[in-house]
Amino acid sequence: MSIFLPVPSDAPAAPCTTPQAVALAFRDVTHSYGSRVALDSLNLEVAQGEVVALLGPNGAGKSTTISVLLGLVRPQQGRVEVLGSDPRRAVADGRVGAMLQSGSGIGLPPGVRVDQALHLVRRLYPRPAQLARIIERADIGALLRRRTDRLSGGQAQRVRFAIAIAGDPEVVFLDEPTSAMDVESRQFFWRMMRDFGNEGRTVLFATHHLTEADETADRVVVLNHGKVVADGPGATLKAAVATRRLRFVVDHPDRSVLDELDGVTEVEVCGSGVLIDSLDADATIRDLVGQGVPFRDLEVVGACLEQAFVELTSCLGGGNKGAIDDVAALSPRAGSPSAREMGGDRT
Amino acid sequence: MNAPDLSIAAPPPRASDDLEAQVHAAPAPGSGARASRLTPMLAFGRFELGRLLRSWKFLTITVGFPVIFYLLFLGDRPAGEVVDGNVTWRVYLMVSMCSFGALVAALNAGGSRLSIERASGWARQLRITPMPAWSYVGTKIATGMLVVLPVIVLVEIVGATFGGVSLSAASWVGLTVLLWATSVAFVVLGVFVGFMVSPEAAFPVVTGLMFLLGYFGGLFTPVDRMPGALQFLAHLTPSYHQVALALAAVGGKTLAPSDWFVLVGYVVVLGVAIVWKHRVEEARGLA
Repeated sequence: MSIFLPVPSDAPAAPCTTPQAVALAFRDVTHSYGSRVALDSLNLEVAQGEVVALLGPNGAGKSTTISVLLGLVRPQQGRVEVLGSDPRRAVADGRVGAMLQSGSGIGLPPGVRVDQALHLVRRLYPRPAQLARIIERADIGALLRRRTDRLSGGQAQRVRFAIAIAGDPEVVFLDEPTSAMDVESRQFFWRMMRDFGNEGRTVLFATHHLTEADETADRVVVLNHGKVVADGPGATLKAAVATRRLRFVVDHPDRSVLDELDGVTEVEVCGSGVLIDSLDADATIRDLVGQGVPFRDLEVVGACLEQAFVELTSCLGGGNKGAIDDVAALSPRAGSPSAREMGGDRT
Repeated sequence: MNAPDLSIAAPPPRASDDLEAQVHAAPAPGSGARASRLTPMLAFGRFELGRLLRSWKFLTITVGFPVIFYLLFLGDRPAGEVVDGNVTWRVYLMVSMCSFGALVAALNAGGSRLSIERASGWARQLRITPMPAWSYVGTKIATGMLVVLPVIVLVEIVGATFGGVSLSAASWVGLTVLLWATSVAFVVLGVFVGFMVSPEAAFPVVTGLMFLLGYFGGLFTPVDRMPGALQFLAHLTPSYHQVALALAAVGGKTLAPSDWFVLVGYVVVLGVAIVWKHRVEEARGLA
């Protein structure tokens, strides 16, 4: 029971790579930690130059996906390829960079200056990026002489980003990179990420913020229970979960009026009961009043984006199917499988 | 931009840039593959060594403890008193303090520093660079060995100047090499603590080990002056066997295989434990 959001064929292609070249591929990858299943025959393919957000609640398998892509975890079943080779090979060849979730600390070596840490990491790669470029990209010029243990959370994340891109990698993985940041640093960080992705590099980042995923990624892959449950452009997904359902009663409902209301995507009429899906409930209600529709018993079902997203992923395990239907209804080619659909049920 | 050792836009070469140029220019044609694998490790080794030598805490502890203890214990007994069979107290104390210095340096080079950087995610960050996985531990052990050597030499200098120890040149060299080589057991122990113990517990554990292995190893008081039960414990410590080998070497006696056996045993068992811990973390997706 998965939903697919087809990716439009005019999805942004990498400017300097073959658009069809596959950067990352998961084929029926399964991995569990003891009895906890982290990846459940996951299928996923990411083209070179794509900026992909991996969205999902805690425990959905996002970190495991990234660990597998980095060769830190060897999956028990299935095949994983990074840039056409084994993940460990890609890492050993210096083609991959990553910003992992830091544990108890900031993920930087204590007792050294930022420039020293950066110098080291550059020397570990065969073809490091130019220092000036890294400094400019991550905006760490003012931090170079600072000691790593005296950075603020946002500054430390910028330095970690600099370290992730120091080897001039073709693919970059970021595991919840903004979790320790304030709003301002977050915005800056995502701008930085976008610029980096615009150079034709493949970027895969995990997040549980739908807005971040939508604003930054070309494509959003929703994971839950180690499976892909939705895959498509952020806007489509956002629209899907942003949907509000209006329910009200009106004597002699007039479909032609209801269909034309602001923000409406779908109308169902059953006797005097009306059910409207809207992308903008406020506008729809204003329009309802403006049109003089004599509605009563109005009820708006739905939630803020984040809650809607939680609903979307939590109900996919079974039970309530409402949210899935909403997404499917909004997907322009719902039900017709597209070539890009990688997730979901086994083939 | 005021960053002397980073050539951001300005071309003037600085010391570190020169070094970088050398490191990158080093591989001769034909040795390319090997050199490119060595370059990251050399860079990491240099980085680690620099980190240790810039740490005032580390330097104070590793230099201060053995030297101060040496000077404190010097007057404990008449310098010429024969202890532990047939060595004089002055030789026994110097060898013991060399061993203690090596122990302190090795435990502090690994220990809590390693534990902290593993917990913070830095060790993981290094694992996803092209540097091979084993070279993290390898470099830690190599840098541990490198900081142990000057401590041993320093204590020997104190022994030769204040401790009244005089040996032949060959004996000095032999003693130094033997003490240094056998210190690998302490270095591996330091790395072991860094792998096994949480950052909060690592410092007390290191301090505890320093004094437990120091005392029970007979570094502060000759083993034959200890009560019988403690003498038994002494035989379980690497310190005791290191000192036993060193004293035998100085006395021109044959080195007992049993001493080697215990020291090698420590290295093997602790080494296996480190590898095991790494595997477990890997299987859990933590490494």
